[in-house]
Amino acid sequence: MATTVEPILDNTIEDPEHRAPLVLGGLDYAGVTDKVCSVWEADKAPKVWWLVLILAISLLMMLGACIGHLLMKGVGVWGNNNPAYWGWPIVNFVFWVGIGHAGTLISAILFLFRQNWRTSINRAAEAMTIFAVICAGTFPGIHIGRVWVFYWLFPVPSEHLAMWPNFRSPLLWDVFAVGTYFTVSLLFWYMGMVPDIATYRDRAKTKIRKMVYSLLSLGWTGSARGWHRYEAAYVILAALATPLVLSVHTIVSFDFAVSQVPGWHTTIFPPYFVAGAIFSGFAMVVTLLVPARKIYGLQQLITIRHLENMNKIIMATGLMVGMAYGIEFFISWYSGVAPERFAFYNRAFGNFSWAYWIMVSCNVFIPQLFWFKFFRTNTIAMVVICIFVNIGMWFERFVITVTSLCRDFLPSSWHYFHPTGVDVMMLIGSFGLFTTLFLLFCRYLPIIAISEVKNVIPVKSDEH
Amino acid sequence: MTEKQNQETADQKLVGLLAQFEDPGSLVRACNEARESGYNKIDAYSPFPVHGIDPALGIPRTILPFFVLIIGLTGCAVGLGMQYYANAGDWSPLFPGYNFMISGKPFFSLPANIPVTFEIVILSSAIATFLGMWALNRLPRLANPLHRISRFKRVTNDKFFLLIETKDPQFKREETESQLSQWGASVVEEVNEDLTDQQLPSWLQLAGLMTALILLIPPVLIFRAEGMTSRKPRLHVVPDMDWQEKYKTQTLAPNLGDEQHPNFLFVDGRAMQEPIPGTIARGDLYTDSEYFRGIKSGTESFATISTAGVHTGLQDAAHQDDSHQDEAAKDKPAEPAKDDPAAAPEPDWVTQFPANVHVNQALLERGQRRFNIYCSVCHGYAGNGDGLVNARAMALAASGQAQWTAAKSLNDPETKKNPVGRIFDTISNGRGTMGPYKSQIPVEDRWAIVAYVRALQGTGIKPTTMTKAVEKAVAE
Amino acid sequence: MHEVQPAKITSPIVSLKDNYLRLIPISLIVAAAGIGGALLFSGFNMQRFSFAYLTGFCCLMSLCLGGLFFVIVMHLTRAGWSVTVRRIAEIIAMCTLPMFILYLPILIPLMAGSDEVYVWNQPGWSIHGDAAEKQAVLDASKYPPPIEELKSYYLNRWFFAGRMVTYFAIWGAMAWFFLSNSLKQDKTGDKNLTAKMQKHSTWMMILFAATLVFSSIDFEMSLAPFWFSTMWPVYFFSGGVLSALAAITLICLWLQRSGRVTDEITVEHYHDLGKLMFSFVIFWGYIAFSQFMLIWYANIPEETFWFAWRINPAPDGVMTGWQWFSLLLLFGHLLIPLLALMARTVRRSKNFLVYAAIYLLVMHWVDHYWIVMPQYSDIISDHVGPAAGLAMHFKPLIDIPCAIGMAGVFVALFCLIARDRPLVPLKDPRLGEALAHHNP
Repeated sequence: MATTVEPILDNTIEDPEHRAPLVLGGLDYAGVTDKVCSVWEADKAPKVWWLVLILAISLLMMLGACIGHLLMKGVGVWGNNNPAYWGWPIVNFVFWVGIGHAGTLISAILFLFRQNWRTSINRAAEAMTIFAVICAGTFPGIHIGRVWVFYWLFPVPSEHLAMWPNFRSPLLWDVFAVGTYFTVSLLFWYMGMVPDIATYRDRAKTKIRKMVYSLLSLGWTGSARGWHRYEAAYVILAALATPLVLSVHTIVSFDFAVSQVPGWHTTIFPPYFVAGAIFSGFAMVVTLLVPARKIYGLQQLITIRHLENMNKIIMATGLMVGMAYGIEFFISWYSGVAPERFAFYNRAFGNFSWAYWIMVSCNVFIPQLFWFKFFRTNTIAMVVICIFVNIGMWFERFVITVTSLCRDFLPSSWHYFHPTGVDVMMLIGSFGLFTTLFLLFCRYLPIIAISEVKNVIPVKSDEH
Repeated sequence: MTEKQNQETADQKLVGLLAQFEDPGSLVRACNEARESGYNKIDAYSPFPVHGIDPALGIPRTILPFFVLIIGLTGCAVGLGMQYYANAGDWSPLFPGYNFMISGKPFFSLPANIPVTFEIVILSSAIATFLGMWALNRLPRLANPLHRISRFKRVTNDKFFLLIETKDPQFKREETESQLSQWGASVVEEVNEDLTDQQLPSWLQLAGLMTALILLIPPVLIFRAEGMTSRKPRLHVVPDMDWQEKYKTQTLAPNLGDEQHPNFLFVDGRAMQEPIPGTIARGDLYTDSEYFRGIKSGTESFATISTAGVHTGLQDAAHQDDSHQDEAAKDKPAEPAKDDPAAAPEPDWVTQFPANVHVNQALLERGQRRFNIYCSVCHGYAGNGDGLVNARAMALAASGQAQWTAAKSLNDPETKKNPVGRIFDTISNGRGTMGPYKSQIPVEDRWAIVAYVRALQGTGIKPTTMTKAVEKAVAE
Repeated sequence: MHEVQPAKITSPIVSLKDNYLRLIPISLIVAAAGIGGALLFSGFNMQRFSFAYLTGFCCLMSLCLGGLFFVIVMHLTRAGWSVTVRRIAEIIAMCTLPMFILYLPILIPLMAGSDEVYVWNQPGWSIHGDAAEKQAVLDASKYPPPIEELKSYYLNRWFFAGRMVTYFAIWGAMAWFFLSNSLKQDKTGDKNLTAKMQKHSTWMMILFAATLVFSSIDFEMSLAPFWFSTMWPVYFFSGGVLSALAAITLICLWLQRSGRVTDEITVEHYHDLGKLMFSFVIFWGYIAFSQFMLIWYANIPEETFWFAWRINPAPDGVMTGWQWFSLLLLFGHLLIPLLALMARTVRRSKNFLVYAAIYLLVMHWVDHYWIVMPQYSDIISDHVGPAAGLAMHFKPLIDIPCAIGMAGVFVALFCLIARDRPLVPLKDPRLGEALAHHNP
């Protein structure tokens, strides 16, 4: 009989001799299952859930209306102008794709590094990844102008068009990168969820639920041979997803960096974008999980230690991003190339300097608070900091995209950028889409990887 | 469930014995015991992967990684091949590739094709992993006798099970059960297969087939539409983008004021302003008269300096008034030439090819191809004035349905006397009823045609049977 | 998650014992013979020799910095598995301090005003032509060319030397901090020392990153003072960590073959080191490709020439030899190790890992040769325009002895620092975890 060790309440205390427990309150196997399933088995969803869902759906409808308006009127409804031909839609795209990096990072990279604490948070993070990529995909989708011929992006043989996509274009690489990322994340997420859906299937009370979850769980029995192949597949998918997750934001950074625009063309962009993506993605995970664990009473599974670890990663990646800002500035000076030097001077002291300093404050200065344990372990403080981080990361993409375009090589085309109401409503609306999907996920799918958490439950080892 | 266990009827078949364990440790121990006792048709079931169960059951390493590696390498080859086919190969008769010339970069250069190749490798490997894993696990399998056992529902929660199948040669109903209890099983239960629900209901099969067929219709329609040409106008989703409110070049702008106080966009009522007199657009200055006009240099009048090669605003302005008449008279055959050669003295045509035209095999071949495209329709492939258009027009003219001046035979002794400059001018600006071709044929190609015409005239090929057939048709 | 077992060191020999007294002279003789041979075969051409020497130095320097990174990051992430191999990394990291002495043959001539290696050390470097032409241009105008004036704020000999002293002091202090505390723990077994090292590893990581950024620019990027790439420090870093992992693996294998630390370093640790090497092969490829790709695609003259020298044929279409080096890097440094290290059985084979580690170290040298030596070709050859290729000056009799000599230097430094100190942390609180480490 697996007996649990005595409950520990604070697992944030460092002791090099012992690893801190990752599941608190002495939960055993059945306890974990009951805890996670209680979210789904509750007859009524919590009031907060309904409240937020209604708000989110109304925002989602606003997004839908904006897209309809855009299709009727054309892309002129945005603030995009000449020279800022990439305005908010692309900023939003890069922002959401960045957020969509944390999930696969937690599932794949932390898995390969054997970071056991990932088990409680990976499911929600993966789900968040997929929803963020959906939000991200929306923006370039509607940015192509003639949405109804979107399939021209893919190499589909066509007698009408009599031509193929240009495979040397970074924008086409984006189609492949984001498409692959979405597909692989979905497969990874779903595969990881099958054993837990089987748990839901075996606990389902109503006939409809039983049928739906039976189909989704594919008849999973948890046989040892099944687990063996499942684990092998999980390792392979993790090994595939790790370079993939790096490649996605790398390719997004190529969109900018292969050009010659000063401020866009700098070779550090690939790793710098990836670090920034992880930074914003983890911030979003913290922002979502802190209220979720509170509402659903999952504090014993998503412990303060999990949150603290995430905050440490946020701080580390924030410092990497800050270092990249520094290298960019130094090299732009060192290069001696006049447009390059002007581009960076203009960022910090030009007409968009307000955006630049918002970015630096939110991304570099504010996360420094995580040096203090209080801010790493206090849930309210960390959510506030994480929201600032996401604001900062949105502004980072804004600064890169708009500032550089508005001050390109030709001073005669210099211009300012003003967003329109549609721009603003679309950004807010995309949060509606994201939140709606996330809330539905919380209600109908296991938000914690039940079978994986059981592996890290502290048990007295009587068999060794 | 208990009654099911008791009735060993015809539609029930014993699959094996299922033993329940309370913790992973005792499951692993039981697995070891079972394997050591000689059982091999055994499997363990657990809520999570149990450490050490693989050696206990003697599970060999899965072949999945090799399968994925092969698919991944195939994906690499296919991905690179697809890009090469699409962007660098235009040799395929069906859906040929399309060569983009972009920023002077080569059509196919490996660095630029690495990202897409990489993504395709990852995508194909990931899909292979996902599907391969389920296929090796024989899943999805929705009808599993284990799912009929209510106790087994806790396998996804907190209990651990060991199944010994009846197929196992060692399997003996009573003996195996006692062994299982001995190894620490808390409960041992029979697993029975219900033979009656092996098959899907027939209506479900039919419905599934119908759905599959119906789902096939849209892709088939799309592929049909994609593979065919259509005479119907395309769907206009955004009409104001397709039909924009704008003034076309060289049209009259509408009067924005009223009759008494006309208010035009420009004073002369046009939608577009003409170039300032005496100016020449960049790239339109043709000073090499011999090359661009076929006239000996130094002998042309100033007015022709910028006009002979390409129409410019000056000349267009001069003909502005009759351009509308031209529109109306477009379908009428053969008006007398606008620039009557008799009115002006014959220019001093060059008699030798200009210095920068090198008459060689390549130029003649180029000229032959251009001649066959543009000239042969009237003048015939051999230049005897027996082209298909000419033949048809002559037949119509003979029956009074059209007016037609016969195309000249280039082998005519009079025509043969024309200097190369004049032939060039004829091609450029037309002569008699022949229209100008300077907008279709670039200068160097015109000289190539001239060279080819000269070569044709040298061969002296006489009218062929084709011409005779034409004469016959005319006679009829 | 299972309780850790009480840690016990069971190997009979855990240090070099007195063998280091024998090894130090041997390796020093190899070092002297190699470096001296290179000098001899270069015909005492100090410029040619300095470039060969700098190649070896940068190769070794990045390796030691990789070791320092390994130590810091293992403390930062509270890794348990790596405890038994950490001491070797600590010793490698400690080699950074004496590396300063090895840099003096480059630094002293630089301070004396030599521009044989770092061309920015003399005014007129941005002017094309021979010395007299440069002097004429400089005399004609009162001011130096603007790019030289700008860069002289950073690239001047006094600031350069000051930075060098700072880097080595910081690296040495950090390496000594970890090594001394770890050695102290061998005696006391105080777990608070681990907590202390973890605590200080945070800001040390920042300091390490900052010094690495500027030192990589100083060591190698400033050899081509026109050229700039923000990715450069990451590129330098990725190769360094890869070679450090290969060196750690090689040292572990050698120690175990000679009967030391036989029980503590298990096949599981080799498996993990193999995985890390595999991932850093990919990381190096990722960084190298991204850097190349962005410069190749944008094709801006200010940056492209650096790669053009290493890839393009000479203006008359003759292959100059650098293409083969570039291809060797693509296949030898990325594709071959990528495929070779992919299989699990391979990463768990000690016999294979010997060859893999030596191979990766050789490739690391090729990488730095490819970085450093074209600059020599640039200085001495009269090349045509930025897009043209450069003639190659690979002289096996100079470059290979120099590389072997540098390897000798490394062994000597390692033995000097290791002496009879234990080669595995004896009382680390996570030793048990490392000993029980098992790859799923």
